[in-house]
Amino acid sequence: MNTYYAANLLIFAGVDIIACIALNLQFGVSGIVNFAFIVFQAAGAYTAAVLSMPPDTAADYSFQIYFGGFNLPFPLPWIGGAVAGALLAVPIGLVVLRNLRSDYQAIALLVTSIIANTVINNARPWLNGAAGLALVPQPLQDQIDPATDTYFYFYIGLTAICVGLVWFMAARIVNSPFGRTLRAMRDQELAATALGKNPVALKMTMFIVGGAIAGLSGAILVGFLTVWAPSTWLYPETIILFAAVIVGGRGNNLGAVLGALLVPVGFEEVTRLLVNLNIGPPNFIPAMEWVLIGLFILGFLWFRPEGVRPEGHKVFPEGFESGVRVLGEHD
Amino acid sequence: MLLATDVHRHFEGMHAVDGVSLEVPRGQITGLIGPNGAGKSTFMAVLAGTMPATKGTFVFDGRDVTRMPAYRRARLGLVRTFQLSSEFARLTVLENLLVAAPRHRGESLLGALLGPGYWLADERRIVGEARRLLKRFGMSAKESDYAGNMSGGQKRLIEIMRALMLHPRCLLLDEPMSGVHPRVADEIQGYLHDLRRDGLTILMVEHELHFVEQLCDSVFVMAQGKLIGSGTMASLRRQQEIVDAYLVG
Repeated sequence: MNTYYAANLLIFAGVDIIACIALNLQFGVSGIVNFAFIVFQAAGAYTAAVLSMPPDTAADYSFQIYFGGFNLPFPLPWIGGAVAGALLAVPIGLVVLRNLRSDYQAIALLVTSIIANTVINNARPWLNGAAGLALVPQPLQDQIDPATDTYFYFYIGLTAICVGLVWFMAARIVNSPFGRTLRAMRDQELAATALGKNPVALKMTMFIVGGAIAGLSGAILVGFLTVWAPSTWLYPETIILFAAVIVGGRGNNLGAVLGALLVPVGFEEVTRLLVNLNIGPPNFIPAMEWVLIGLFILGFLWFRPEGVRPEGHKVFPEGFESGVRVLGEHD
Repeated sequence: MLLATDVHRHFEGMHAVDGVSLEVPRGQITGLIGPNGAGKSTFMAVLAGTMPATKGTFVFDGRDVTRMPAYRRARLGLVRTFQLSSEFARLTVLENLLVAAPRHRGESLLGALLGPGYWLADERRIVGEARRLLKRFGMSAKESDYAGNMSGGQKRLIEIMRALMLHPRCLLLDEPMSGVHPRVADEIQGYLHDLRRDGLTILMVEHELHFVEQLCDSVFVMAQGKLIGSGTMASLRRQQEIVDAYLVG
């Protein structure tokens, strides 16, 4: 295994873990079936790209057309990516989450994902259309040569820091009274409303938080790949992330991490290796990959709907109310 | 305490609630009875704000709440339970009660991110409160079980306890005895007696008329979306049109 392959695997794992934690906060904890999740990752990637790239009139960049080109130093493009994901969540959330029932929300978000991809694919003046953006500058590439192993280790470290930050935030949310209210809303929205909870405000909050984290994951990805195009964020990418959260365990952050390692990373890597075996026609293995992912989701929903790592069962110890420090939680 | 005036709720031409006006007196248990399809549960939903009224006004404790969404009415103390069990199935019994507690510092995103150091005192306070309630309702032994695994009667009790965690001023109970074992129904009756003694105002939809007779100070009767009578159960039994519409049998 060479360094490039290992770095590739670890950085993709980090990005998928971040994305799955965000989707778990929205879908697993809050019950928002965000079939447009990948759009928020794309928003973060495009934003980070145009913030870090020079204007499209610059010498090496004139073969593509895009707005902006602000040449901002790291970490501003990554912060911008997260902010873009959060900001995009506001109008979409206000349209979708206020008046629609949850099943219609899912359909509306799926349609949003398809529309967004189609528009960006065809509107070349905005983000270079189907060809996408290339030569996206990498973080601190002027200080560390991106072609070296050192840079790979550096990027793995940056990704790990982001995974840690996102994990910390998500753990605080899930293990708090706020997280408990989100789970109550997920189980019985009307009953939660009748207990004084505002479901629109709760869902909007988690839609924005999840959008910001998705945006960050896109920024990390584009900084590593240096290219980003509509073909990388088609709606089936969201389905893979849903599969990961379902397989890992809805409502459990650790489950989301396990799911990310099992499905987008493990499953895709295994099937990618199978391509080398030259079984069947050229597209046989990639097609089978989708069939297997579908069967994987169905199998888990049928035989183990709670996933590999089910949601935690919170137990308050005797005497908690009078000051026993330990917050009991076990599975 | 609660005044509803000329309340209508129409569903594409069908008048589920058709010009109902009633007043729920403070500190009493008021019954709302009627045959299936009379519009009682729809009226309760409209009263609580979980379903919008087509027309009508609501005044709660001197305040016009007509345009107020359900969650804000609940925060004011107008709290409902549901005809069908509505427990938070994947939360424990204790957590079901904790969710309902108002003014918890850890219940906002910022509070959550600040961590237990910021909200743990509130958590301790409401766990103590919830445990006292569980003890009062004889469910302490079940506090760590998933609410979804409880029996029908226990789920009813969870709903009532959950509503009480909000410190309601008026409780809207939709068929609290429905689908409940007779022994548990008697227990619920005892708890409701206690709550009235504590001064809580209750409006209760119920089909089991002997409970209504024993619990309710006054009773309203609905049929086909309209209010057709009111009074004590004894006085209602003497009105032939009400007996014909509902009380036969």
